Amino acid sequence: MSHKNLVLVSLLAFGMCSIAEAQTTEFPVRPIRIVVPFAAGGATDVIARVVGQKVSELLGQPVLIDNKAGANGNIGALQVARSVPDGYTILMATSSHAINATLYRKLDYQLTTDFVGLSNLASVPLLLVVNNAVTAKTPTELVTYVKANGDKVNFGSGGTGTAAHLAGEQFNTLAGVRMMHVAYKGGAPAQTDLIGGQIQVMFANLPEVLTQVQAGRLRPLAVTGGTRRANLPSVPTFAEAGFAQVDAKSWFGLFAPAATPAPVIAKLSSAIAKAVADSAVQARLNELGADPIGNQSETFQKFVVQEVERWGVLVQRSGATVD
Amino acid sequence: MNAFEGLAFGFSIALQWQNLLACFTGVLIGTVVGVLPGIGPIGAMALLLPVTYSMTPAGALIMLAGIYYGSMYGGSTTSILLKVPGEVSSVITVLDGYEMARRGRAGAALFVAAVGSFAAGSIGILGLAFLAPVLAASALRFGPPEFFALCILGLLVLSRLTGSSLVRAAVMVALGLGLSTVGMEPMSGVARFTFGSLELSQGLELVPIAIGLFGVAELLSSAHDKLTAERPLKVRFKELLPTRSEWKRSQGPIVRGSIMGFLFGLIPGPTAIIATFSSYALERKLSKHPEEFGHGAIEGVAGPESANNGAAQGAFIPLLALGIPFAPASAMLLTALLIHGAKTGPMLMVESPEIFWGVTSSMYVGNVMLLLLNLPLIGVFVALLRLPMYLISSLVALLCVVGTYAISNSLLDLWVLLLSGVAGYVLRQLKFEPVILLMALALGPILERSFLQSLYLTQGDLADIMTRPIAGTMLVIAAAVLIYPLLQGLVMRWRAAKPLADLKKS
Repeated sequence: MSHKNLVLVSLLAFGMCSIAEAQTTEFPVRPIRIVVPFAAGGATDVIARVVGQKVSELLGQPVLIDNKAGANGNIGALQVARSVPDGYTILMATSSHAINATLYRKLDYQLTTDFVGLSNLASVPLLLVVNNAVTAKTPTELVTYVKANGDKVNFGSGGTGTAAHLAGEQFNTLAGVRMMHVAYKGGAPAQTDLIGGQIQVMFANLPEVLTQVQAGRLRPLAVTGGTRRANLPSVPTFAEAGFAQVDAKSWFGLFAPAATPAPVIAKLSSAIAKAVADSAVQARLNELGADPIGNQSETFQKFVVQEVERWGVLVQRSGATVD
Repeated sequence: MNAFEGLAFGFSIALQWQNLLACFTGVLIGTVVGVLPGIGPIGAMALLLPVTYSMTPAGALIMLAGIYYGSMYGGSTTSILLKVPGEVSSVITVLDGYEMARRGRAGAALFVAAVGSFAAGSIGILGLAFLAPVLAASALRFGPPEFFALCILGLLVLSRLTGSSLVRAAVMVALGLGLSTVGMEPMSGVARFTFGSLELSQGLELVPIAIGLFGVAELLSSAHDKLTAERPLKVRFKELLPTRSEWKRSQGPIVRGSIMGFLFGLIPGPTAIIATFSSYALERKLSKHPEEFGHGAIEGVAGPESANNGAAQGAFIPLLALGIPFAPASAMLLTALLIHGAKTGPMLMVESPEIFWGVTSSMYVGNVMLLLLNLPLIGVFVALLRLPMYLISSLVALLCVVGTYAISNSLLDLWVLLLSGVAGYVLRQLKFEPVILLMALALGPILERSFLQSLYLTQGDLADIMTRPIAGTMLVIAAAVLIYPLLQGLVMRWRAAKPLADLKKS
């Protein structure tokens, strides 16, 4: 047999094997890896782990969490976009990725076309919190406070182009004030400086500041979303406080590369939705301050397209851009 | 519950067999992770987090914390034996630790590093138990301007770190700071020197450069110095323990390093690194034989190795007392707490005393385990040096490459490793000190970010930074350190001139 033939035969054999595998074995036959494109310890990471644990029980295969942080979540996303589309490598993407779609001048992947949404796990409202030294008790009072203090009030965020940053800029525009934005490397150091009084204001992901708010170290002024929070009943929504336009939420969903076979997507999507519907998972997500969703692939996919558009408007208005 | 009752309660939890097992597993994994270059404690904690799902929150935290401080013990091993820093916080140890090993004192260096780590652990735990609430609150006063001032002080310390000339040190500092600007500008996200690469946009990873500058460069040098030359690393078994004089010289550095590390650990951010080189600089300043530093001074191992462990313990205070993670490793521990549904935040001490006191006490148990684990291992590690040079070299090469790749499975890191190896070799031939470059590279991003943040906070008014008590004081000290030699020169000239003037008068 010539060399060429040998290659051909082995290719054929390999092809038949994989067809046989696809027909006879059920996905999944080996561990599934969830790439979390942010550092361990953040909200994204915790939610992925809580849900991943349950998905692992449902599918009978280990679910591994792989933290691939960097470049606002783009490094992990790009890695999954380029991975083999077999359902064994999936991405935990967030509203940050919907923002990145318009924030970055050049991206090597497209959230809406290179990925297919499996299920939106949960959303998290943004909580407007201030340092206790700030006298304002409502968003309107905050506007007065900022105006009275010569605009020498700073708001922090976990980085340029995060939901917290854009919500802050939106508030600036709506209220006609100019709080200075200070970017930190992640939510945790920003929160540290907020408690320490280095910065005064933050639109924080609720779970990240909840315990500090409950302990009285930070004062909550208003929360995004349609209704008040069960664990913060006295905090009004932005609509109640007169800023109905501030309604951004962070969300956290799982995505697979677009070329993943439809049966695999269906199986993953329903397993994830089932995991999120589990009462223990729901309880844990609620404890974290997140609202469980667990929808199906098509619904989620439509939502992602809307989100990219919606954030695009805010990104453009804030003038922020990243190379 | 006061601290004594708390500790008693804590030990009753830490000494339950499940928690003893969790603690032992943690410190064992920590030691291994510390010894192996590349994969660090954070990666190991992330990998093992799922294992803790079935454990109690206290047990989970005891194990994960064990990995973290355990890795500080092991980090020195490869620094001393092979000149490959196991972790960034053990980079300084290559300066004198490896030189000691070359003179056949590897055992003593490892011994002192282990004992120093233990002492630092013990001091840190006392601080955690008795001072946690007070210290945690004061750490919050450390904002970007303070950080900026600290980095400036750090750079000054760096420039005098080793005996090399000021000009050479300054070149290394500048090069390190320059390299640290690769990646996204921290406030606006503008990409610099990335050549369109997404991977480079997060900046250069520190560990591949550390391993390259020392490990790979050492390989190249030894190849250059001819492999056939007599192996300088021969160690006799009876030389494993430090001599009486070595032991005496180590005591001061261990105590000072422990306290210094603990205090630095309280500050937000990756301050363990600053703690190690500050301790080294301090010991060199205090030593009666500063000329021995860089040629195997045991103080240069004892101080920094105590400091990095002290910092690891100190970092638990903000986490446990405030519920705020100041460093990536404590963020990992916070994740564990959140996943286990434990109430974090400032009320942890009151609402979950079994976690606060249990973990605090387990650290003491863990430190004793680590000491018992590491002392016998010294013999094993030193025995490795008896291998023929060609085997050691291959082993080092393998460790460097695998360790680097394990950090983030990135090929870019391997290229960085290779380039830094060559650069390290060239720098050594030109008598530059790569440690300074590396430390500047570690400080650079913090310096830049805190400076920009300060400017935003003060609306561009630098004078505001000077009026903040902590930042202002540090900047004044920095200025004094810069001006002092000039003044000294002037005074000396004036004194020299004065007798002449007096003579003329009479």
